[in-house]
Order: sequence, then structure tokens, then C-alpha cells
Amino acid sequence: MSPVLEMRSISKAFTAVKALDQVDFDCRAGEVHVICGENGAGKSTLMKVLGGSYRPDEGEIRLDGAPVRFQHPREARAAGISIVHQELSLLPFRSVAENIFTGMEPTRWGLLDRRQMDERARALLQRLGSSIPTGAQVADLSIAEQQLVEIAKAMLLDAKVLVMDEPTAALDDRDAHALLRLISRMKAEGVAIIYISHRMPEVMAIADRITVLKDGRLVWTRDRQDATVNAIVTAMVGRELQDFYPARAATEPGQSVLQIRGAGNRHLRDIDMVARAGEIVGIAGLEDSGKGALAQALFGDQPFTQGEVEIGGKPVVLHSPRQAIAAGVGYLPGDRKREGIVPRQSVRDNALLTLQAMAAVLSLPNAGVRSVAEADRNLRTMDVRAGDFGQEIATLSGGNQQKAIIARWLMQNPDLFVFVEPTRGIDVAAKAAIYETMRALANEGRAIVMISSDLPEIVGVSDRILVMHQGRIAGELPGGAEEGAVMQLALGVTGNAAEREMV
Amino acid sequence: MSVNATPVAMTRRGFRDVPVPVVVIALAALIYVTAAIVTGQANQISAAGLTGLLQRTVALGLVGLGQTFAILVGSIDLSVAALISTVAVLASYLMQGDPSMIVPAIAACVALSLGVGAINGVLVAYWGINPLIATLSTGLILQGLLSASFTFLSGSVAPSFQALAYQNLLGVPLPVLLLAVFALAAWFVLAKTRFGAHLYAAGGNPDGAKLAGLRVQRLVLGAHVIASFAACVAGLYLAARLQSGTPWIGRDGIYDLESIAIVVIGGTLLSGGKGGVLGTIAGVLLFASLDASFNMFGVDAFLKQVLRGAIVIAAVSVYAVRNRGHVA
Repeated sequence: MSPVLEMRSISKAFTAVKALDQVDFDCRAGEVHVICGENGAGKSTLMKVLGGSYRPDEGEIRLDGAPVRFQHPREARAAGISIVHQELSLLPFRSVAENIFTGMEPTRWGLLDRRQMDERARALLQRLGSSIPTGAQVADLSIAEQQLVEIAKAMLLDAKVLVMDEPTAALDDRDAHALLRLISRMKAEGVAIIYISHRMPEVMAIADRITVLKDGRLVWTRDRQDATVNAIVTAMVGRELQDFYPARAATEPGQSVLQIRGAGNRHLRDIDMVARAGEIVGIAGLEDSGKGALAQALFGDQPFTQGEVEIGGKPVVLHSPRQAIAAGVGYLPGDRKREGIVPRQSVRDNALLTLQAMAAVLSLPNAGVRSVAEADRNLRTMDVRAGDFGQEIATLSGGNQQKAIIARWLMQNPDLFVFVEPTRGIDVAAKAAIYETMRALANEGRAIVMISSDLPEIVGVSDRILVMHQGRIAGELPGGAEEGAVMQLALGVTGNAAEREMV
Repeated sequence: MSVNATPVAMTRRGFRDVPVPVVVIALAALIYVTAAIVTGQANQISAAGLTGLLQRTVALGLVGLGQTFAILVGSIDLSVAALISTVAVLASYLMQGDPSMIVPAIAACVALSLGVGAINGVLVAYWGINPLIATLSTGLILQGLLSASFTFLSGSVAPSFQALAYQNLLGVPLPVLLLAVFALAAWFVLAKTRFGAHLYAAGGNPDGAKLAGLRVQRLVLGAHVIASFAACVAGLYLAARLQSGTPWIGRDGIYDLESIAIVVIGGTLLSGGKGGVLGTIAGVLLFASLDASFNMFGVDAFLKQVLRGAIVIAAVSVYAVRNRGHVA
């Protein structure tokens, strides 16, 4: 069968950097073609070329055999290329239906046909297995629901080629599985699906073919049967998977660093937990289980309203991030772009941010040469790869940004680190580096609390796992526990129902 | 997928769900009626009194309608005050009291404002200049040119043109009808047409709108042209009302900042993508009833400004609370 989409010898350079170098790619009707690669490997650039956001310097694109040149995303969309964007492109204050139809509004006698919009939006969402009200304002939806709206928007046109750029990154496992089922259905309808993901189990489950990109070049394209997770990861990063998760602590954990008794707030109830020096405590749970609320409470962002918290044996009040920092809590937010970095400031200034924020009001900015030197040292310790620490942090990859935020906290030397979704949207190589860093931080006698929706990560990295369900801690499991066991607690069911649903 | 839970905000009914224009208009009515009763001027609550009230809203209301478009797409227009003065002066200069020049004068003014709007739009949308800076600068240029050449540009509008500002139709002053028609048209465009939906998209998430296939730059340009056109209509109205334009009409009326104020009071988000013209009309009614009340109390005009400022702060604070929990 001839491919619906062919991209030949695509090259694209930004100033000096070659983001794409002679890349060949194709996708057939009714197949799922997965693109793997580290961040910065050129996946997103390739898709932006396909979607008409970038014009390639060289190469040609053929749709159904005919060459096309897109000058604007609207032309790509009209030609049958739909893209589910990784960054949500929704309008927060418009309704679900209005969002789905952005740019494609049906009219009747020249007027917006809202009834048709509502009906078709409802039908689309139903196909996705969702019953989000079409009149709801998008700002009121959860991230997972917003992701669904985004997908419905891409499916509005009968796309020939559907591109999904990490669509499951914001979804918990249950929603992710529903999405994967939907993809199989669309595949059966003959859509050519291009799928970008970092989640290996997912890749192996849905791919027909797999393409690996590295540093803007094509490494290989293979049928799924001829590819193994190990081969993919090796091609992406040039290292074996065995040493992916770092070894657990050799020694017994030390004294308790964090102790919470009977704590709760609007989203949390009866939280009792301990995190000891030298251990990584994983917090698992579904989207609205309260694991995010727990992280915010620990950092004083949405404080506990009852119960007691002790850090280092001393009772502390965590009513603001400032108090939490003073009490020795370091926090790596899940939404790096919005809560983590100051995008237009330099890597160095980002590393200095908390130090400056906590400094006395009348101290010198940057507190002089010494702290700049220390920031640079920490950035180098974290192996932040930037041409120059003076460059804007927004220009770095997600993994490097995350490392720079860790470097920021090293300046503060907290006893307790709270990591929220530490590797969301981060490529495999940088993931391994971040796990190693977390382990190293723990080995230096700190306690780490890791909130994550990524089950393999929870199971592979944690020394102990606390699973949350409906605002409570539903149970505790040892590190390396079965993923199914975690899921069962997270779903709040007994028996094997959880495992069955996950298959 | 497992998204069966109804979003919280859909189930909670209360203050948050009352549309902003309704609240603002209720507040305006309350202020006006209270002032009339307290000062013993209950006769103000009559058709004549209300007509007088509405008459005060026309100029600012027209500018505000246009400003709403600029703000909805995430831009802003600070050149409206200077444009109003320019149009008022140009209209009276071209007419020189000659009725046969009414149409050519209006045409020239409209052409000029469309040009100014297009320049604003190009500067903001295509050259990427911050809208505050871009429109402030075009405003300064207009004002400068106008002040430099005013000695040559004297004159007055044609009497029959002036009459338009004072005539009634079915007991309603013509200018009030004019504002109503423009408000209705603006509402229609924003709520009922694709162009309107696209304006909201361009303001709410420019990158997302572009990826959805919209030509965001053109939309921003279009909004600026509309804002300037609305300022032009306001300028023509003021010229008719005052018989001749002076180069300070716009500046003295603070139409730039006050039009932004009423848009914001009306619940339109300054960053764009949320709001509408009904709120703006409610905002101008609130300002007008404040003015009228102060007149009834016989209070110093400067105190009026204090209260206007306070109202803007109060409104924005209330919206901040109402919107709490939103991802914007």
C-alpha cells in the first residue's frame, strides 16, 4: 500500500542549529507510526513542518502522491492534516463546543449555527467516550478533560493524517487507555496516525511502525515486530535500559524528616505519613485522587487546615510557600513552564531565583559574585547543558530546565524535596539523569516525596509507595511492587478488577 | 473516557452565574434612583430624566464599543482620544457650515480613521509592537499634527448636521438611537458571526488560534480598524453636538482611558478572549448614572473622578474573586 503521507529529505535549520537533517518519513492509511526521540531530536520540528507552522529549508512533502507546500497551518488543516498539540491550544473562557469548532464554525444564513455546533461536539465527545457538557467553559474542566476537547477538535475534520504529540502526557492511566482504544478504532477507519510518545509500554502497544530520531537525523524506521524497547532506547540515547532506574538505597533509611499526622484540607482527609532521610517515597493515584493536593499542601500552596506537620522533628506551619521553604522544603512543580521557570530570564537567574526570593530585602541582587559562582557550580553539578548560563532558560530542553530547577533548590539545601511529575514530557535520557539525581539527593540524607502519574516510574524509583484514592492514603506498598497492585489501590477496588481494566 | 463527573462550576449556582452586565446595570440603576430620591429630585426618574441620562452615554459608549473589539483580541487602543479630536476638527473644517459638504466630510473622516486603524493594526499585528506603545504613538502623532495645524483648521459643521445631534425619533434622541444601533450591531457581530468567534479565539489564545488555521494578524488588524471607526463616529457626534470641533475634545473627555475603564467594568478581560459589548454598555451606563447623581448632589466634578477610579478597582476585584480557580 502506498503511503498517504511522504516526507522526503526534510531539512530545517534555526540560525546555526540543524533541527532536521535530511529526514525521510512516511505514514500509510490505517497505521500507527510512532516517532521516538529525545527532546530536541527533531520530532516536534518535523510535525511543525508537516502542520504548516514551519517551512522546510529542503525536502518535499507529498500527500496522496501529490506534492504540497504549506504556508500557514490553515492550509495543512484544509489538506486533511490534524494535529493534537502537546501544548493545549484551547480558549479558556469559551465553551467546549466553541473550542472544538475554532476556525471551522458552521454557519446558517451567515450566522453561527450553535445548535449544529453543540450536536456535533456532543457526538464527537461521545465517540471519545466522554460526556463533558458541550456548553461548559473550558477553564472549568480538568486537564484530562481539556486534553479530550483538544483531541475532539483535531478529529472534527475527517483527517487523512492525525498527529498526536504526547497526547497522554497529561492523562492518568485510565484515560490514557481509553485514548489508546480510540486510536485503534480510528486506525481501523483508515486514518494515518502519527504518534509521539515517551511512554514505552504505550508505544509497544499501539505502534505498527516505529521511527527513531536523534539530533535531527533519522536513526531507523522499523516494523514493531522488529523493534524492542531496548533497541528503541538504545537508538534514542545510546545506552542500555537496564541501568534506567538507579539502584535503591543500600542502607536503611535514617530518621524521619517529614512526619504528618491527621492532616487534611478541602481535598485531603486523614493524611498520616512519614518520609525518612535517604528514602524516596512515591505517591501514586489517579487524576483527582488528591496526590496533587498533597504536594501543594506540603509546599504551603494550598495549606493543610488541620493536623500536624513536623519537619526534622520540629512542628512547622506551612501556610505559604515561603514558610515551607524556610522550613526546609524544596519543590519541583509539575507544570514546569507555568510554575517552574521564568522563561525569559537566564539559566543562571533561574537558578538564583529562590535564593534571591528568600534573601533579606536590602541584600544586594544576586548576593554578589559568590552566589553566582555557586549557582554555576550547582548548574554544572546538575549537568545542565546550555551553551552559556546567561542564555534564556526557555531555549533549553525540558530535561535541562528541570535540572536547572533542581540546581535552584541545591542553593537552598532543603531537607525535604517534593517532586511533582518530575519527568513529565522529558525524554528518556534526561529521565534517567533525573532519577539518578533524585537518588543522589536522597543518599545525601534528604527525604524525597515523588508525586507521579507514571506507574513504571513510581514502581521503579520509589523505596515505598503510598497510593491515594479520594483524598485519602488508600494504602502503602514496598518499592518494586506490581503495577497492578498500585492500580488496584488507586481505583479503590478490591479483587482483580483493576488489573482487568488495565489490560 | 472516565470524564463523567460534572464540572464543579456547572453545578454551583449563585453570584458567579449572574451575567456581569446585569449586575452592573442593576448597580447603575440603584445609584441613580437612590441619588434622585435622597436629593428629592424624584422627577429625574422620568422619561425625560432617563433620556438625559442616556444622552450622556453616547460619545463614551461609541468609543467603548470599538475599544471592546481591540481589547477582546488582546490589544488596546490609546489613540482614540486624539482620533476623536482629529475627526471633530476635520469635519467642521471641511463643512464650513455648508450642508452640501456633509457627505464628503463624513467620507473623509471615515477614510482617515480607517487609515489610522489600519496603521495601528499593522504596527501591532504585523510589526509586533506592543499595542500600548504603538497606539500611544499614533495618538501622539495625530494630536501633534492637529495642534500644529489647528490655526488653519477652523470652521463649524453645517446646521442641518448639527440638528442630527438634537433631533428625536419617536421621542428618543437620535444619538441614543445611534448608540443603540451600533451596540446591537457590535453584539451581533461578536455573538452571532464567525468573525466574532474568531476574534475571541485570536484574543483568548493567539498561538492556538493560529494552529486552528486562523489568520490572527488579520483579525487583530480588523479589530483595530473597528476601534478607530467607532472613535470616528464618536468624533462626528461630538462635532455635531458642539457645532465645531476643537483639538482638545478627545483629550478633555479622557476618551482613551475612560473607554478602557468601561470595557473593564463590563467584565471584558484586559488580556483578551473574554467579554463583550453588553458589558461595555452597562459600564458606560454606570459611569453616566454616577455623573448624573453627582450633579444632583451638586458635588465637585473632581470628586467624580475619585469615585470612578474606585469603581474600576472594585469591579476588577470582584471579577478576580469570581474568576478564582480559573486557569486564566
